[in-house]
Amino acid sequence: MNPDKSLFSEEQKDILQEIMNIAFGNATADLADVIDVYVELSVPDIELLGAGELPGYIVKNLQTYSQTVIINQRFLGDFKGSGFFVFPNGAGHDLAAILEDSNPQCCEAIPAVSLEKEIIMEIGNILIGACVGKISELLNTSVIYSPPQAIYEKSVEFNRFLKSFDPANTVIAMKTVFRFQQKDIKGFILVITDYESIEWLKDALDKFMESYQ
Amino acid sequence: MVMIHRILIVDDSPVARKMLKSCVPKDREYEIQEAGNGVEGVEKYKEFSPDITFLDLTMPVMDGYKTIPEIRKINPEAIIIVITADIQPKSIAEVISLGAFTLLKKPARKESIQDAIEQAELKINNTVKQI
Repeated sequence: MNPDKSLFSEEQKDILQEIMNIAFGNATADLADVIDVYVELSVPDIELLGAGELPGYIVKNLQTYSQTVIINQRFLGDFKGSGFFVFPNGAGHDLAAILEDSNPQCCEAIPAVSLEKEIIMEIGNILIGACVGKISELLNTSVIYSPPQAIYEKSVEFNRFLKSFDPANTVIAMKTVFRFQQKDIKGFILVITDYESIEWLKDALDKFMESYQ
Repeated sequence: MVMIHRILIVDDSPVARKMLKSCVPKDREYEIQEAGNGVEGVEKYKEFSPDITFLDLTMPVMDGYKTIPEIRKINPEAIIIVITADIQPKSIAEVISLGAFTLLKKPARKESIQDAIEQAELKINNTVKQI
């Protein structure tokens, strides 16, 4: 199904883009409290997609990266959907090194492979949580989260994940590309809202802007 | 006493510019001009000679980090208030080292914008006294 592009006005899309920008900026500041990394941000990209187009959109965005791991976290409430932290597989090793540099005692007892996975899961959890949390706060609502789940590209779970979207629905994809400057690692955060949230979201965006009239 | 009247807002987001404009105090007439990226911002700065410039960091074409030195080449005393979502300690330190007057966190709030304008006026007046 083709998405109904008129679902959102240009201004509503601009508001959403700015809110995503603010939310991701806050998320990186939260991350800087935990691990000594500097994150370069990009201008967020907002797209209205048919849910059937989503697997193609995700695969297309993954082409820039050799092998990826996706941390996926569902959020539920008025604002409902999924957050995805997409990161090169193996980059956990570099992040583990940064974490060990800044806090040598932190990781002594943890085997290297588990540590890398735990770090990516934790960073994904922090960034998705802070990002979605800030969007919710700005739109005067709150959400609850499912535990984060790691999905490796080209795995059975990845294919199952791509097939899990109902093609009849329209989704909003909000993407921000980032780069961890010290290690030159690029990845992106994708927040996808469920179809049921769209009417609520339009109303919430209008109310957000009304406070600035 | 010198008062601020001319404000330049440089931000790629039309919504962010609108939000910021709505936060500018209504107690006097301000002349406000806008630009959508750093290159346009520098051009506007030359034409308009604003008293203060509100500048975003994350922008296409030319970002805020590159824009600050360009504006300061035109006017080394330029008052540049960075307003950004990027509040990482390193970003804050970098914009201040580049010569920004202060950094405000997005979203814009009336109180912080008003306070920044007042602080900028104090700075301008202190500079005038020293001259």
